[in-house]
Amino acid sequence: MKECSEKMRKVASDALQKQEVTAVLGWRKKDFWWQSPVAFIESVDDVDQLVWDPFTVFNPVKYLLEDYDCHDKVGIFVKGCDSRGINRLIQDKRLDRDRVVVYGVPCEGKADADKIRASFASKKIKKVTIDGDSLIIDVDGKEERVAAEEYLLDKCLTCRYPNPVVSDKLIWEEVPVRKGVNEARFARIDNMEKKELEERFSYWSRQMDRCIRCFACRNTCPACNCRVCIFDQAEPRWLGKANDMGDTLNYHIIRAFHVAGRCFECGECERICPAGIPLQELNRKLIKDLDEFFGEYEAGLDPEDNPPLGTYRGEDPAGFDES
Amino acid sequence: MKRIGVFICWCGSNIAATVDIDKTIAAAKQMPGVVFADHNKYTCSELGQDMVKNAIKEHQLDRVVIGACSPRMHENTFRKTVEAAGLNPYYMEIANIREQCSWVHKDKETATGKAISLVRTAVAKAARNEALFSTEMPIERRALVIGGGIAGIQAALDIAETGFEVDLLEKEPSIGGRMAQLDKTFPTLDCSACILTPKMVDVAQHEKIRLITYSEVEKVEGYVGNFTVTIRNKARSVDMEKCTGCGDCMNKCPQKVSSEFEMGLAERRAIYTPFPQAVPNKPAIDRATCRWFTQEKCRVCEKICPTGAIDYDQVDEFITQRYGAIVVATGFDTHKLDKYGEYAYGKHPDVITSLEMERLFNASGPTGGKLLRPSNGKPPKNVAFIQCVGSRDKAKGNPYCAKICCMYTAKHAILLNEKVPGSKSFVFYIDVRTPGKDYEEFYNRAYEQHNATYIKGNVSKVFPDGDQLVVRSVDALSGALVELVVDMVVLATSVDARSDAKDLAQKLSITTNAHKFFNEAHPKLRPVETQTAGIFLAGVCQGPKDIPETVAQASAAAVKVASLLSKESLKSNPTIAEVDQKRCSGDMSCMAVCPYGAISEKIIEERRGRETVTRKIAEVNTALCQGCGACTVACRPGAINLKGFTNEQILAEVDAICL
Repeated sequence: MKECSEKMRKVASDALQKQEVTAVLGWRKKDFWWQSPVAFIESVDDVDQLVWDPFTVFNPVKYLLEDYDCHDKVGIFVKGCDSRGINRLIQDKRLDRDRVVVYGVPCEGKADADKIRASFASKKIKKVTIDGDSLIIDVDGKEERVAAEEYLLDKCLTCRYPNPVVSDKLIWEEVPVRKGVNEARFARIDNMEKKELEERFSYWSRQMDRCIRCFACRNTCPACNCRVCIFDQAEPRWLGKANDMGDTLNYHIIRAFHVAGRCFECGECERICPAGIPLQELNRKLIKDLDEFFGEYEAGLDPEDNPPLGTYRGEDPAGFDES
Repeated sequence: MKRIGVFICWCGSNIAATVDIDKTIAAAKQMPGVVFADHNKYTCSELGQDMVKNAIKEHQLDRVVIGACSPRMHENTFRKTVEAAGLNPYYMEIANIREQCSWVHKDKETATGKAISLVRTAVAKAARNEALFSTEMPIERRALVIGGGIAGIQAALDIAETGFEVDLLEKEPSIGGRMAQLDKTFPTLDCSACILTPKMVDVAQHEKIRLITYSEVEKVEGYVGNFTVTIRNKARSVDMEKCTGCGDCMNKCPQKVSSEFEMGLAERRAIYTPFPQAVPNKPAIDRATCRWFTQEKCRVCEKICPTGAIDYDQVDEFITQRYGAIVVATGFDTHKLDKYGEYAYGKHPDVITSLEMERLFNASGPTGGKLLRPSNGKPPKNVAFIQCVGSRDKAKGNPYCAKICCMYTAKHAILLNEKVPGSKSFVFYIDVRTPGKDYEEFYNRAYEQHNATYIKGNVSKVFPDGDQLVVRSVDALSGALVELVVDMVVLATSVDARSDAKDLAQKLSITTNAHKFFNEAHPKLRPVETQTAGIFLAGVCQGPKDIPETVAQASAAAVKVASLLSKESLKSNPTIAEVDQKRCSGDMSCMAVCPYGAISEKIIEERRGRETVTRKIAEVNTALCQGCGACTVACRPGAINLKGFTNEQILAEVDAICL
């Protein structure tokens, strides 16, 4: 892990020194053991902030939008999941490929802090590091060694693209794809589809009831990249401000449809949700339906193509005039 | 606050019998902004329209809601009404309480509730309606007719006679179409070629008509009055300027191919005209079979041609031409018989289709007009005709009636009896349908004077017996099993839409029905128009019909074209899309779904901090936009709006229904 961080720092410092880029996006360590948010490195002096640890899960791609366009050229570290976001932004014409240098960091999966906390309930965890396929957890001053696989985020267990699909430079060797991920992809959806309509509605009502409309799911999503989101518009008022179930459902349905065919399953929406709403189920249900209607399509793999719902083709199923 | 007037129409008893008009008026008076509400027996009548105009003046109305029939019916009528009273025509909104309410409901109470809901919706929208203005657009005074059969020929001639220029497009090397293949025509038995070929010649000689044969529509852009059509002029391999049509090449060409025109009953050469009276009477090389193109040897035609007209290096050319109006007259295909194995078609040479029968009767056909059995070249004595093959067959054919088969079968029976004295025909039918002037009399002639026996029954099997055929059926009237030994079996094959009708419909932005026949704008009142302004229909491409009907429809389409082209200019439709620059992210989702190519990228400058930066956004070409609204749905941030159907207006409508 340490070597990985070192490699990243070296790449960033070289690039900044040679002025190939004027800023680098990666991850840094924050106050607590489970926090490894996105780092914004604009000077060689700061490259030591960069880390690669079990919690560098945040997708930094979203920051390539306006926030960083004061820089002519930006370097960015991307995991497999993050990398498809680069293609997402290019397809949406929100990113000029020439403006970024993509450093690919193959990833074996990130740790789920909640799972770790649950294992060591009411104990004080100070530090979590990774060594090979083990996590080394500093619990009450003692080092505990556990299998990293047991503590992975759910989204990493079904990850089909652990290696970046787009990169200018691969920082270390590619890793193998976990077995059984293709079967696991729609497992939750298949289960849900078997349930009666009533049961499904009550399930989703229960889930959405917890939503506090913090919009974190939207804010973190690289597919939600409109300059002015419709939910932020005052006129027309698409979304009521009151805490009303109808409006909450309205928000979630529109959000899911806006990313339909564009969502590349990074799972950040679900991971970041403070209310634990299983948003990835909604996204994947739409992916599954679109695959059935318009043929299989993988978002975020090709920067040139158009998502199925954004394409006009004569042979598309019309659903109305065919008898 | 707006001053809205609501006018509820009885539509005689159409609405008033199912919707409580008084209750609706009372409810409307309570709606926000409504200052006047009244009713009328027929609002579209002069009396009704005057009532609207007077109320606008008397009550200073600035928005008008008409609760009546579908806007498809009278939107224009009422727009003109409010315009006459000094309002912008787009201040008028229709609540469709007929098609969407009274016609589909029985219970008066619930229908009234729904009518009130619909009126409330329209009131909410009307309050947000803004003034919209049309612009004047010039018209390209030239018409395109697609398809050179009798429909296209008639339409082209009639348009040309009104003084406008016409391009007549035909995909085959010659015009003439299906009618050229026919022998005699019912119910007068005049020869098809005798009445068709003079018209073909007229077309070729008319100074206002340009004939574009061996060509197909590649792309259609634009809109009524200003279509831009790209035409693929297929490589004919014959220089039309140099060719004199002497026909030497066709005589000497060594490559024989089954003739499509003769329905495979005779051969043509690889360089060919489809039939001797072809217009233009200049051949084309069928590259799929020509020895030079397939084996790189031969070039006999080049050697033989006295004018050096053969050009093997020709390539497909693309012509781009502007038109004000388009007539679609692409005709039909005959039904494929692969699902009708029981009739032994394709297995026995004496089982033929009715169109093949036409060629066997024809003096210029494969047998020189002598009716001979394909198997042994002897005249048939007894012939069975099977009707409705592929028609009125929900299980494996077309559910509809092909309309022409009863009559042409009666014709075949008469012609058979005339050609082969003493011969008999046996017609297996479901029903005999003869609506048309002199049609029933013609059918009567077949069985009264020409030895035709009509047997009501579905044929279950046709099978060979020696050198003859056995037709097995039930006589549905007596219930008896019938087995007839005949010399030939003729299948009255159904009429299908062209196999590529969907493709053309997409290019033209017109619609088809479930059987791929092009849809007319209104089945009764606008039978030759399509839903796309400026595009008209003629002939069987719209639905099965016989020659008289086809010619009448073609002339009707020609009048529609002439009345359009004779206008000074057209008013543009102001309900088109508009981009809000600030909200547009420039991801161009709208451009990808626009069927009219009306959206393009535009670079704008804007201030960001202390800097002026540029970025790309979407822009709508107001001339190309047809107002379909596809872009507004594709736009996630709601930055593109359809004028007259803005997001604000539609949300107000939804709120009016739901809240």
